[in-house]
Amino acid sequence: MAARESGRVKEAEKRRILDEAARKRRARKAVEALEQDNFHEDPHADLVMSKKIPKFADSNEKPTRKKKSKSAEYYKMRFRKTFAQLVEEDAAFRPDPPNYLSAQAPPSNFPDRHFCAVCGFPSNYTCIPCGARYCSVRCLGTHLDTRCLKWTA
Amino acid sequence: MSETSCYILDNGAYTVKVGLSSAEPKIVPNCIMKAKSERRRPFIGSQIDECRDASGLFYILPFQKGFLINWDTQKTVWDYIFSKECCPVNFNETALIITEPLYNFASIQEAMTEIFFEEYECQSLLRINATDLAEYHYRKKQNNQCTVVVDSGYSYTYIVPYIKGKKYREGIRRIDVGGKVLTNHLKEILSYRQLNVMDETYVINQVKEDSCFVSQNFMGDMEIAKKKVSENTIVKDYVLPDYTTIRRGYLRDVVKPDEDLEQQTLRLTNERFSIPELLFHPSDVGIPQMGIPEAIIHSINSCPEENKENLLENILLYGGNTLFPGFRDRVYNEVRSMALDHFDVNVTLAENPITYPWEGGKLIFRDPEFYSFCMTKEEYEEEGKTLAFERFDI
Repeated sequence: MAARESGRVKEAEKRRILDEAARKRRARKAVEALEQDNFHEDPHADLVMSKKIPKFADSNEKPTRKKKSKSAEYYKMRFRKTFAQLVEEDAAFRPDPPNYLSAQAPPSNFPDRHFCAVCGFPSNYTCIPCGARYCSVRCLGTHLDTRCLKWTA
Repeated sequence: MSETSCYILDNGAYTVKVGLSSAEPKIVPNCIMKAKSERRRPFIGSQIDECRDASGLFYILPFQKGFLINWDTQKTVWDYIFSKECCPVNFNETALIITEPLYNFASIQEAMTEIFFEEYECQSLLRINATDLAEYHYRKKQNNQCTVVVDSGYSYTYIVPYIKGKKYREGIRRIDVGGKVLTNHLKEILSYRQLNVMDETYVINQVKEDSCFVSQNFMGDMEIAKKKVSENTIVKDYVLPDYTTIRRGYLRDVVKPDEDLEQQTLRLTNERFSIPELLFHPSDVGIPQMGIPEAIIHSINSCPEENKENLLENILLYGGNTLFPGFRDRVYNEVRSMALDHFDVNVTLAENPITYPWEGGKLIFRDPEFYSFCMTKEEYEEEGKTLAFERFDI
């Protein structure tokens, strides 16, 4: 006699579950997204802003100052450094704490709170495939339909 | 040298607070913005007020994570600020006070010194942390020994203890949550729950400013926010601007919409208080750090024993996020509950949370020793940038 079969158990075995690394990657991406200046692309990216066109509002007088002011472009080149480079440089300049890195507040002593990924109210349940939180069957449905494994990183 | 006024430039990552010490400060956005509606020109600083349709604004910011990274953008904004259009100045005759972030990186500091002495030809320059100016302001008014300054700005929140007017570096704490994270998070959840507003940072920032408050009883407010509309004291509608009849959106009670007006609204419930809550629980969005009150206690505990009592009595809050209603009370209540019982706790919200350090600059200029804090052009030409590192405690 064949072993008893349960549709639910069968289904569960097939279900894809995100591993720890993928979940961490998702969480990191979410935090990084909070740092973005813009979500969309520059609307004028394809436009060439010509500096040669005279601005008629300006007076016709030639500037009298002898010293020529340097362009913004010059300073961009002159002090070009990314944030990551600067942090690295700082580790050499101020190697011992207190410094930029040591000033970061440590993790809280209080436990994390959990909120429904869909509606934002306190949640008691965790989505098995991806680890997101939800509060009710209705929100779980929304979550599975829209986010859960839809754009897996 | 005896001058009647100096030029104060509180160079924030989101807004610049600028003006002569003899006048009122101006608040200028520290960015260049591009609008979808006007293809010909970028808007620098306050020029954005001339923009008729501020939907889909694209930001170009000089600051990243609270540090000056994009110098071309900053130079453009500064040129605008120093021009006749905004707040003209002659640095040959007027001393300059400019603020920098705490732990500003060495190469940014060098660049600052260079650009102000060589490009803008300053006669005397004082580079200083905004928290120093705020502490000076507070100390002159209260005559106290120790202060904890909480600066909750655009890029992050800093907690800095001062003992006898000097910052106590071991006690400095930074929480990587500021106004930018709050706006972006609000944008994200609204876009998921209701209406895609991912491109509308400018508008959603206004939604945040107009609707959010700091809850005094978070779980209690969550219960209220769950109730149905007739019993719910938190739920509100936010009428979005359409840039024809409404230039800035506003909050209103939930009413049956007037079909003729065709207004677009956002329904706000727990969003109203769960957004500022991130300042108190960064872990709610997965940032593994303490909230403000806990970090204040953590900072004070790292200070010398004999100063702790005085520090708890002088906690000063300023910065854009402190404008949320209920902010001070929440900080007070939580610090009170975590501090030792026999100490008094006193939390003060600065009277003008945005311009408080700028006003401090005004006071420091009147300090009899003001010019000994500054560096002059001659000194710069004589001794170069190394002297700046010795003189300015950034």
